[in-house]
This record gives sequence, C-alpha cells and structure tokens, in this order.
Amino acid sequence: MNVTMTLNGRPFSAETPSESLLVDVLRLNGFTGTKEGCGVGVCGACTVLVNDVPVASCIYLAALAEGQDVWTVEGLTAKDSALLDAFVEKEGMQCGICTPGQVVSAYALGIENPKANEEEIREFMAGNLCRCTGYVTITESVRTYLASK
Amino acid sequence: MLISTPTTIGDALVEISNENTLAVGGGTSIALMLKNRLIEPDRLVLLNQVPALSGIEERDAQTVRIGATTTLLQLMHSPLINSALPVLSFAASRVGNPRVRSVATVGGAIIHGDPRQDIPPVLLSLGATAHIAGRAGERDVPLAEFFIGFMESAAGEDELVTEVTVPKIAGQRTHYTRFTPGSDDDYPTVGIAVAMTLADDGSVKDARIALGGVDSTAFLATEAASLLIGNRPTDELIAAVGESAAKSANPSDDQRGSERYKRAMVDVWTRRTLAICLKG
Repeated sequence: MNVTMTLNGRPFSAETPSESLLVDVLRLNGFTGTKEGCGVGVCGACTVLVNDVPVASCIYLAALAEGQDVWTVEGLTAKDSALLDAFVEKEGMQCGICTPGQVVSAYALGIENPKANEEEIREFMAGNLCRCTGYVTITESVRTYLASK
Repeated sequence: MLISTPTTIGDALVEISNENTLAVGGGTSIALMLKNRLIEPDRLVLLNQVPALSGIEERDAQTVRIGATTTLLQLMHSPLINSALPVLSFAASRVGNPRVRSVATVGGAIIHGDPRQDIPPVLLSLGATAHIAGRAGERDVPLAEFFIGFMESAAGEDELVTEVTVPKIAGQRTHYTRFTPGSDDDYPTVGIAVAMTLADDGSVKDARIALGGVDSTAFLATEAASLLIGNRPTDELIAAVGESAAKSANPSDDQRGSERYKRAMVDVWTRRTLAICLKG
C-alpha cells in the first residue's frame, strides 16, 4: 500500500506492506531517531506524535497514519530548540536508547498540560521507561522544558 | 492483506462484510495480534476516518452517547464524562500509558472482549448499552448480554459496534478499583466497578457490581448486588456481599495470582470498593 501523511511538517509518502507498523515505515525511511524497544507499547522508546497526541508507533498501524500529522523526535527538536537544550542542560539521558521517546513525551506533555506539577510530570512520563533508571534528571529536564514555554 | 478506509458507517458495513475481515478502532490490540501472528485477516477496515463513529454527547437528559472510536484520552478529558460519569474518566486514566490511551478506543475495549481490561466492568456497572449496526439493520444490546465468552461478543463478524450509551443517574455513587499487586501499569489481578444509589433512609435503592479479570469475560455479580438492594449496608451485609461476589468469580491461575488468591481479592476489594461508595 501507499501511505501518505504530513511528517515533521512536510508531505511524506511511502510504499509499504499493509501490515506495517508506523515505527518501521519511519525507520526504513531514515527517521531512525524513533526506536523500537519493547515492541508492545509499554516502554515508550518509539513515541511519536500523531495529531498532537503521543502514540506508541510500535503498535500503531502505518495505515492509520494516512492523512495524519505525524512528528518524530527529529522534527520536534528542530522545531523547538528548548526541548533538546533542557535535556542537555539537565543531562536527562544515560545510555540514550530511551531518550528520543522521553523527548517526544516531554513535548507532548507541553501540549497537553504545560503547567504540569511534579506529580503530573511523573504520572505522564511514567510509561517512558529508562532502564539506566535515570529518572531524576529526566524529570528535571521535562520540568526545565515546561518552564521554558 | 487489504486495507479499507471508509468514511461513512454504511461504507464501513459494506467493507466488513468481506471474508476474514476485521474492523480497527485504534488498533493497539490488533497490531499486537498481527505481530504475533495470532490473527491473519485478509482485510482491515480502519474506522478512524468515520466521523459518525466519534464524539461524546448528551443523547437526551438521561443518556450519554459515546461514539465507538472515542479514545480513552477523550474520555479522560471530556467535561461531560467528568461531570456525569466521573468513574469512566478515572478508569480511562488508569489504562496503560498516555500513548495507549491516546489511540485505544471505547468500542475497541468492548469488542476486543479481553476480560482483564478496565473499561468493560466500569461500563457494565453503569448499565451501558452497546449499539450494533449491520447491513440488516441496527440493534441495541445491553452490555450485560454483550460479553459472551473470552474475546467473544454478541456482535457478529459483519456487524460494527457504533456507539455505547450510558444512563445518567442522579445521585449515583460509583467507584472503580483496579487491584494490581505487581506493577501499577500491569493488567489488574481483579477490577471491581460499583455503581449504587441510596434511598433517603440510607437503604440501597439500586446497585451493580461488575468484576474484571476473574472469568472469561467481565461480568455483573448480580447475586452479590441483589443482597444490597432494599437493605441498609451494615458491616455484616457488606461482608456477605464480598463473599457472594467471590463465589461468583471463576478465576484461573496465572502470573497475576492463583485462583484462590484472586477469589480472596474479589472478596476484599468488593468490600472496600463498596465502603468507598458508601462514604460518598
């Protein structure tokens, strides 16, 4: 099938098997910032935005993205420099595999609840797992990003 | 595998009448089943472009209509659901994580028929009705008659759940307990949804207790609830209701607990959930 969407603000179209998941279409077309971690929608490494809400692209059929507005970590960090700045300043990463998902979720929280308090940040970010357990600096990064808005 | 993207309910019904075809709401469960080769459909009918299947509104003064493709995130943030049926917003907020809630749908939660899910027992306790459309016409099925077995429902293969309606009941007390002894984002070992109204004299006018995770479907513990009706809820009565609910459960051993443990937890958490409702 052919799937056409707006990707990071630009028209995007790809030929892909109909059972493809969004994460595969993105990665095979060079958007390798999006990682597949658990593959079952639990770990958050594959988080992308679809129509301004965070989506687990590893359990999201690419066909559902037809005509939708999709943003990956590449597009969001280019659009909003405060996002990466906050993670760099607070060192909100260790090994880095979960970082793109953390960054996209931080952006999504900025849309859904930009005035989120500590508890709301933790609640929203709860499904973005960091197996290095670097949650303190990740939470600080998110707080710093929200404060920049 | 073919993909259909209808934009009207009529077209969607034509598409799903094809052989070996599945309708897709948010697809969070279907994507996993496809990945694991648990299903091999010839066609998927995507419902995310059918506006008539979405939306939350007051059907009339007594009824809230929730379109089948309403996401759990929309349930969480709907002012109408938050004011009229807050237990439904709460339950939606406890499912999975933000990335699942922004995609998973109400229609999907009931048609999937996984007994461990949170939305089915809550809708059962609220006395909800599923509206089913097929090419032959439409019909309403009370949710109490909708779940007929593990991942099996009253909706036929060539039918769609188009919406769920939920009665608004003045003074209704509700609560949902999601007991997860392991990780908070695990499926519940037992989910208990209670909805009840009290008469002026403090006796129970009406009560529904729904259980999730402890049988092949979510179900109403009708016998347990009937013990309450017409009576003042004393500690003894609540103990009897917990015991009756536990008896009505038919759990199986798995990583979320043994059969005996789950039954004991139905007893404990039914009593505690009732106590929360009674406190108001």
